[in-house]
Amino acid sequence: MSKAILIDTTKCIGCRACQVACKSWNELKGGEAKFSETWSNPRYLSSNQYNRIIFREIARPGGQMEWHFISRRCMHCNDPACASVCPVGALEKMREGPVVYDDYKCIGCRYCMMACPFQIPKFEWGSAVPLVRKCTFCAERLAMGLAPSCVTTCPTATLLFGERADLLKEAHRRIGTQPNRYYPLVYGEKTGGGTSKLYLTAVSFEELGLHKVGFRTDLGDIPQGIYGREWMSKVPFVGVAVGGLAVGLHYLHKRRAEIQAQETKED
Amino acid sequence: MAEKVEKWYPGEGKLSLGRAILYVVLVLGGISAIARLFFGLGATTNLNDAYPWGLWVSFDILAGVALAGGGFTMAATIYIFNLKKFEPLLRPAKLSAFMGYLVFVVGLFFDLGQPWRIWHPMVMWNPHSVLFEVSWCVMLYTTVLAIDLFIIGLERYGKESWIKFFRDIYLVLVVAGIMLSTLHQSSLGALFLLLPQKMSDLWATKALGPLFFCSAVIGGMSVITLESLISSKVYKRKPEIGILSDLGKGLAIALLVYFAMKVTDLYARGAAVWVWDWVHFWFYVELFGTVALPALLLSFPEIRKTEKGLYWAAGLSAFGVVLNRFNVSLTSYIGYRQFGYFPSAIEIFVTAALIAAGILIFDLGMRYLPIHKSELSGEAH
Repeated sequence: MSKAILIDTTKCIGCRACQVACKSWNELKGGEAKFSETWSNPRYLSSNQYNRIIFREIARPGGQMEWHFISRRCMHCNDPACASVCPVGALEKMREGPVVYDDYKCIGCRYCMMACPFQIPKFEWGSAVPLVRKCTFCAERLAMGLAPSCVTTCPTATLLFGERADLLKEAHRRIGTQPNRYYPLVYGEKTGGGTSKLYLTAVSFEELGLHKVGFRTDLGDIPQGIYGREWMSKVPFVGVAVGGLAVGLHYLHKRRAEIQAQETKED
Repeated sequence: MAEKVEKWYPGEGKLSLGRAILYVVLVLGGISAIARLFFGLGATTNLNDAYPWGLWVSFDILAGVALAGGGFTMAATIYIFNLKKFEPLLRPAKLSAFMGYLVFVVGLFFDLGQPWRIWHPMVMWNPHSVLFEVSWCVMLYTTVLAIDLFIIGLERYGKESWIKFFRDIYLVLVVAGIMLSTLHQSSLGALFLLLPQKMSDLWATKALGPLFFCSAVIGGMSVITLESLISSKVYKRKPEIGILSDLGKGLAIALLVYFAMKVTDLYARGAAVWVWDWVHFWFYVELFGTVALPALLLSFPEIRKTEKGLYWAAGLSAFGVVLNRFNVSLTSYIGYRQFGYFPSAIEIFVTAALIAAGILIFDLGMRYLPIHKSELSGEAH
């Protein structure tokens, strides 16, 4: 029922065709390519850039250098923090998998940006009528029975689109048959309560140096939204308790004052 | 404009230098705010994708609401805990709370990406969201404060039958105000429960809600103290040192409770407290300079019973509440983000104008409303 994308980063050659396909389908303006300390281009996700490939060159034991290409985009969490915190319910997890955003509800408070454990929602800072932007999992293509545009364009089958349950099986099959090729963990299987993007990597995200910038490994298996919901579940009781106490104390003091007045009168 | 009933204080009606400066700041901030509406947040603020919340959230919203906590604190003191001697502080506290929330709402308006949709939470509900709850509580509580001020206004014009109607339902207003304040003051802290991994260990705690509530009580009491001392000077009244030093005792207790809560929480979580860097510097200033120090100052009757001592103690603790809000919402993220953030001139101008507007509204209230009149006995004091 719920769709997902398996991202086998060991197959990625860093061609960035997915970035171009994403821009074409979503009609996003092309950005200016710039040199930086990394090969990644553009340097950051933005309201104009829903996905990008992170280039990482790391040394293996023995001194050999090795390239890793990690596709970064919205994880489409099973239980998304952004949807949980949005005060007007502009963000929503669809049964089919995508976490979608309603342009007409958003008030621009940017709480989703604060809350997202993967730092995905981006804001249209340049606009006077700004909205939040992020990967849509091509929800409108999914509705037409098509695969997301990045998947259809990937030349090396790094991106695999399908049922989440099937993809998980496939991911574990790959790890099982080629244990030397893969780090033995599917990022997104349980991370933050599970996501619709499943990552296979050659080494851990700590080793890639990405565990603090987008691919957190300290999230545990619980969805982040639960912290806010836990609080909200107590709110009605706190409200009633405080209100009740206040009324009770008020009348208690009032009664005491009345009795005191009575006693002074009788004396 | 109605005729003024009487002179409330000597020298009223003159444009003093202080007020002139406030008006200039207000105009400057007004222009900045209009620029922000036309050119957008990106062009006029230093906010970015790494720092989606900045000065306006930290000060106008988080600190502003905490400092306006005096309204519900005093209402509870007098109507619920029956400590009638603090009654002279009740109405100024209500006025300053109303001013605080007005500033908050206007500040929020300019901070939102789509300010004209500020009403959306009324009809588009997400009961899972802490921010949804905060927006409802703030809406309702601002209404309560507005009704409160409306009653004071009615008194000025002597509309006795109307006043009687409100007096009959007054307990409902008081209880609603206390309930709503308890909820949203603590929930403003709960906004930050969501991503403990992003925040510094020093502030990322499950106890953020209760801590925010406790420091809002501190913020409220210290602002009432400062406001009473300053307005006695401005409006040439005798400062109510006796009542204020009694309130100082309460403030000291609140500070001690807050200190104990903080220390217990840090100890229980085993946070690394003794490290030397900028984040810890601000943490030390907050905990020792603005919680422990004023509590210590207030514990001496010689200090508590003087104007200067009260100024210092209340000033430090009010500053501490503001610093805490900045620490939780900005300092806490220093180690985590790749970018820096410092507010732009326009952000600072708008915030300065909001403070100026608050003071001017308070001044208007003091000049035109019977603020120095007992709510219980109806006598002037």
